Parts: sequence; structure tokens; C-alpha cells
Amino acid sequence: MDRNRLHNQVASMRRSLFDQGYLDDQFIQLEELQDDTNPNFVQEVVTLFYNDSTRLIQNIEQALNSRPIEFCKLDDYMHQFKGSSSSIGAKKVTNECTAFREYCNAENAEGCIRSFQQVKQEHAILKRKLEVYLQTVRQASQTA
Amino acid sequence: MAHTLPSSDQSSDQDKWDSGGLECKGQLLIKIVMRNRLTALVVDGDTTCWVLEQELLHSYGVQTLGVDNSRDAVDLIASDAEFNLIIIEKILPVLNGLEVTRQICEIGVHCKMLEVTACSGESERQAFLAIGVDVFIEKPLDPEHLVPILREVDGQ
Repeated sequence: MDRNRLHNQVASMRRSLFDQGYLDDQFIQLEELQDDTNPNFVQEVVTLFYNDSTRLIQNIEQALNSRPIEFCKLDDYMHQFKGSSSSIGAKKVTNECTAFREYCNAENAEGCIRSFQQVKQEHAILKRKLEVYLQTVRQASQTA
Repeated sequence: MAHTLPSSDQSSDQDKWDSGGLECKGQLLIKIVMRNRLTALVVDGDTTCWVLEQELLHSYGVQTLGVDNSRDAVDLIASDAEFNLIIIEKILPVLNGLEVTRQICEIGVHCKMLEVTACSGESERQAFLAIGVDVFIEKPLDPEHLVPILREVDGQ
């Protein structure tokens, strides 16, 4: 694919990620922190987020399966999840974390379980989209 | 992208600028010129946040040290390590952020302390402010909140 088409594709994908609400301005901050001394910063941080959050998801699943459910522990895990997802601009994931915490504060186990499915879903959707987007960015930079 | 200049040898250039002229806004990163080389301790158990907050501080020329648990933070401060700025998350391994903040304040730290956390109720916010935190910021840490604090610590 020629250079211009690749760059147009990157721009279009990026615009779509913001327009569809998957990312917010915080992701732009990541991009602005990337420079010649740190050329892969965005990819590195996204990879870090998905490594960390995968572990958190496992912890949350274990906590949801334990009886009785320790809502304080669940809340702490989701607090951390929300912090890291908001820090990379993962807007939909962050919103679902907020919704989960409301059920957690109400000690509503069923609500937590349902809400957690939404968290995992948005987490997975964003991961796929970012993988494709960042791969296209890499291809475009190689043709620059 | 924020750029920084070395400190005092730029004072003649700085004299040419008006009080607001040092600052211009990029997309999101607010560009400022620091007079001094500041140092910051970042205490956060979440690696993503830990990396991001330090990188943001680096972009303003702030030297950082990061620890991912409260015990290391307290030990560092107790060993007389000095910082211009300490950034602490509420949820930490070993001790929670409130307790570690209390211990750091009891040691007698005299620097700007920021609580940067995902979310908290008003009562928690007040609890942190009561024990000595200067500013309470909801994550993510952004230039809009950080830059005024850096300028104050930098004596601008």
C-alpha cells in the first residue's frame, strides 16, 4: 500500500477511535509524550496497560468467585483498573469501571458480575482496535 | 512536546518575556520553561500510571524516582532523600496511601505533596488534605493540573 494511502488510513482509524468514544484526549497526551528519544512510547504504554490489566481482570474474577465476596477488595482492584485505563485514555473501559464501582459500593453482587462482563468486553474490543491501529501506524512510519 | 532550558544562564532571555509569555499551549502538553531542575518521587502500585506520570514529569525536565509500594516510599523519605514534589496514589501495596502520607508527613517532609488517584469521595479528599496533602487530583494526571504546581514549586 502506498505511503499516502497508509497515512490516510492511519488518520481515518485514529479519528474513528475518538469519534466512536473508544479513546479520549488522554491518548493524545500519550502521543505527545512520544518523541525521537522515545519513539515507541505509545505502543509500550498500551502493551504495559494490557499486561497489567489482564492480571487485574484475573484478580477481579477470583474475587467475584469467592464467597463471601469481599467488596472492599473488589473496589480496590477496580479502582486500580480505572486509574490505569483513564491514564491511557481508554474512555469506554473507564466508564464501565465507574459503573462497576457503583454496583460494588452498593454490594450488589449480580450487578458487579454483569458489569464486569461489560468491562471485559470493552477491554477486549479496545485491545483489538489498538493492535490494528498501532500496527498500521508502524507500517506507515516504515514507509515515511 | 514540552521543552526545558537550563536554569540560571538563561535569565537574560527570560527577562525579555512577559509574565505570561513563558507559556504557550501545544495540543495538550503546555510548554513551560523551568528555572530549576526539580525532583519528584512518584508512588504508585500501577505500572502504567507509574510510567506515564514519570514520563509526563520528564517532559518538563523533572528528575523522578518511582516506587511501587508504600514501604519503599517511607524508607526512602526516612533515609533523608529529598524531593520538590511527591505524588502518591491512594491504593498502594503494603500500606494505603493515606497511611503512607501520614507517615511521610510525620517524618517531616517539606515539599509539595500531590494525591493522584482514580476517584474518591469528598470525605477521603478531606482526610488527605487534613494530614498534609497539598493538592488532590483525580487521575489521569494532566498538564492542566500539573503545570501550575510545577511553576509554583519552581518559584515562578
